[in-house]
Amino acid sequence: MALLAYVARRLAYLLVALFGVTFITFLVTRRLPGNPAALIVGVLADQSTIDAVTERLGLNEPFWSQYYKYMGQLFSGDLGESWFTSNPVTTDIGNRWPATVELASYALALAVLWAVSLGVISALRRRSLSNRLADALSGLGVSVPEFWLGLILLLAFFGTWKIAPAPLGRTLGEIPPDVTGFYTIDALIAGDWGAFRSAAAQLILPTVTLAIVIGAPLLRITRGFMRETMETGHIRFARALGIPRRSIVLRHAIPNVLLPVSTMGAMMYGYLLGGTVLVEVVFAWPGIGSYAVKAIEHSDFAPVQGVVLLSALSYLIVYLTMDILHFVVDPRTRTHS
Amino acid sequence: MSTMPAHETRPSSEEGDLLDMGDPLAEGDLLDMDTPLAEGDLLDVDDPYEDEDFPPLLRVSDLAVGFSGGKRSTHPLTPLQGVNLSVEEGSAVALVGESGSGKSLTASAVMGMLPAGAEVLRGSVSFEGEEILGASEKHMRELRGSRLAIMFQNPRASLNPVLTVGGQIAEVIRVHEDVKRKESRERAVDLLEQMGIPNPGRRAKDYVHQYSGGMAQRAALAMALSCRPRLLIADEPTTGLDATLQQQVLELVVEQVSERQASLLLITHDIGIVGRTCEQMAVMYAGRVMESGPVEEVLGDPANPYTAELIKSYATVRHGRMNSIPGVVPTLRGPLVECAFADRCPKADEECREGVPALRELGGQRGSDERKVACVKA
Ligand SMILES: Nc1ncnc2c1ncn2[C@@H]1O[C@H](COP(=O)(O)OP(=O)(O)OP(=O)(O)O)[C@@H](O)[C@H]1O
Ligand code: SF4
Ligand SMILES: [Mg+2]
Repeated sequence: MALLAYVARRLAYLLVALFGVTFITFLVTRRLPGNPAALIVGVLADQSTIDAVTERLGLNEPFWSQYYKYMGQLFSGDLGESWFTSNPVTTDIGNRWPATVELASYALALAVLWAVSLGVISALRRRSLSNRLADALSGLGVSVPEFWLGLILLLAFFGTWKIAPAPLGRTLGEIPPDVTGFYTIDALIAGDWGAFRSAAAQLILPTVTLAIVIGAPLLRITRGFMRETMETGHIRFARALGIPRRSIVLRHAIPNVLLPVSTMGAMMYGYLLGGTVLVEVVFAWPGIGSYAVKAIEHSDFAPVQGVVLLSALSYLIVYLTMDILHFVVDPRTRTHS
Repeated sequence: MSTMPAHETRPSSEEGDLLDMGDPLAEGDLLDMDTPLAEGDLLDVDDPYEDEDFPPLLRVSDLAVGFSGGKRSTHPLTPLQGVNLSVEEGSAVALVGESGSGKSLTASAVMGMLPAGAEVLRGSVSFEGEEILGASEKHMRELRGSRLAIMFQNPRASLNPVLTVGGQIAEVIRVHEDVKRKESRERAVDLLEQMGIPNPGRRAKDYVHQYSGGMAQRAALAMALSCRPRLLIADEPTTGLDATLQQQVLELVVEQVSERQASLLLITHDIGIVGRTCEQMAVMYAGRVMESGPVEEVLGDPANPYTAELIKSYATVRHGRMNSIPGVVPTLRGPLVECAFADRCPKADEECREGVPALRELGGQRGSDERKVACVKA
C-alpha cells in the first residue's frame, strides 16, 4: 500500500538522520574546550589523579573506539551518566522533559491560535487595523530575541505591575501528584485548583514569550498563503458561481492554506521540544534547555549528547507525524492516479 | 447624445466588522457597494440601443472602467472606454480582439467582479432588463451561478484541489436551489454525464488532479451550467488545451448552451472558430467595440479597418508566419480623444483624430440593420 511504503521510506530517512546526529554531537562534544577529568577531580588534584580518571572514563582511547562504545550504550537505551549531577542522563532528562513539553505545547497552542487567526483575517482585509496589528506583532516576534522579550515581559508584569509571580520555575505552590508530568494537567486530575492556578500562573509569561516569537513566522506564512489562495482561479470561479463568502473562506480557501501552515507549525513545535534554552534560563524553567546549558558549562558530555539527541528525535518525529498526516489528508497524495 | 462621465469614488473604509471580512480580491470591486452609482448616471449614457422595445438578454452600454492606481499614481489607467455590446436571448455572440483590448475586463464588469482598484466610470449593464452594474453584492451573488455564469481558461486552476469535483458542483446547486445534499450530488453526477465524462459516478468523487485538462474543462462547464443560467460567458475556454481537445470542448460548450436555450458570450482570440460557433460577433479594440454584427457579414465584408487587419493577421499566422498587426495596443490613460486605432490604421487621416468614432449602424447596402461600426471611413 502507498501509505505503508511512504511511512517505511520516511522512517528510514529518520534513522539515517538520527545516526548523523549522534555522530556530529559526539564529534562536537569531544572538541569542547576543557578536560572533564580535570573538572571532575578538582583544581587541586595532581596530574596522576587526572590521568587515572581520564583512563577510567576512557577519554584517552582513540576517537573511534569511544564512539563505538557510545553507540553500543545507546542501543541498550543508556545515555550515560552526568558527571555533574551524578545521575544517569535518562533520569535527569526524564525529570526535566515534561517541563519542556508542557511549556512547548502551551506555547504552540497559543501561537497557532493567535497567529493563524490573525493571519487569515489580515489576509482578507488588506488595509485594515488587523493588518497593521499583524505587521506589528510579526515584526516584534521576528526582530526581538526571545530572551529579551521574556525579560521585558518580566520587568513589566512582575517588576512594575506585580501581577505575575516570581519567575522561579514551574510552580510556587504544591506540586501535584505525578501522572503525566505536566503540572497543570496533573493538578486538574487531582482536582486541586490551587495547584493548577499556581502552575498556570508560572506558565503564562514564558508561554506568551514563546508564542509571540514562534507565532511571528507562522503569521507571515498564514497571511501569505491565504492571500495567494484568495487570488487563485478556483476561488475566483467559486465566487463567479455565487458561492457565499463564508464558504469561500472556510471551505474553499482555508483547507488549502492549512497544509503549508501545519508544516510550519510542526517545525516550530519540533524546535520548542528541543528546549528553548534562553527562555528556560530567564524564567528558571527546569526544562532540558537549561539542563543542556549547565552541562555545557561543566564539559559534561553525556547530558549534552542526550539533549541534542532528544531534540533531534522529537523534531524528526513531529515532522514525520505531520508528513504522514498530510499524506493521508491531502487528496493529491492520497489519491494517486 | 450627451455623455457625462460619472466618476465614482469608492467608500474608503476598509475596516469595520472583522467577521464580515471584507474582500481581499478586490478592495475596489463592487462588493458591499450598495450605491456605487447614482441612478441618474446610469440613465444618462451613450446608448445606441435607446429606442428598442424588447431589451436583449444582456446589454452593455457605454461601459467605461478605470484603475485609479493608488494615491501616488498620476496616470490612471482607463482600459474600458465605452463598451457597447448586446447578447440576444438564445444567441451565441463572439467577442474577439487583440490581447489587452478589454474583453476579460468587460466580462468581469458584467459579473460584478472587477479586480482590485478598478472603478466603473460610467455606463450601464442590463441583464434580463434589469440594471446590474452597481447592484448589491448580495443580489449579484444570487445572480452569479444561477441566471448568469462564467467559465475561464485554465480549467485545472478553476477547480479546488482539495474538494471533490462532484462536491464542488453540488455546492453550487445547493447555494442557489433549495435541495437536499443527496439530490445535489445526484444532479452533479448527471451533469458530469451530460458533459460526456465517462464513469461519472466515480469521477464525481475524484479530485481535479485526477482529471486531464479537457475533462477538467468539462467539469467546469458542468459547474457553470448546473443551475441552468440564461447566459454563459466563456472567457477563452479552450486556451491552453491540446489542439484536438479545443475543438471538442468548444463544440460541447456551444451544444450544451443551446440545448438549454441559453445564450453564449464567447471570448476568444481565435477568429477561426467564430464562424463555426457563433451567429453574432463583436470586435474589440482599446476598450471599445469597433464593429459588431452577424458573423458572416463581419468576417466576409469587414467595415472597420481594424477588423480587416485582424482577419488578415489571423490568416497569415495560420500560414506559419507571425505577422500580427504592426504596432501595439495602446495603454490607455484618461479618456480617448480620437480613434484609438488611428496610429496603426492604414486608412487613418486627420478626420480620424477629430473625435472618438461612435458605434453606429452601418446602414446603406452593406449589411443588415444589426451591423454596427465605429469608424469615420466606413
Ligand atoms: N488587475 C488589473 N490591474 C490593472 N490593469 C488591468 C487589470 N486587469 C486588466 N487591466 C488592464 O485592462 C486591459 C484589458 O485587460 P483584459 O484582461 O480585459 O484584456 P483581454 O482583452 O481579456 O486580453 P487577453 O486576450 O490577453 O485576455 C489590460 O491591458 C490592462 O491594461
Ligand atoms: S476611424 Fe480612422 S483610424 Fe479609426 S478605424 Fe476608421 S479609418 Fe481607421
Ligand atoms: Mg482575457
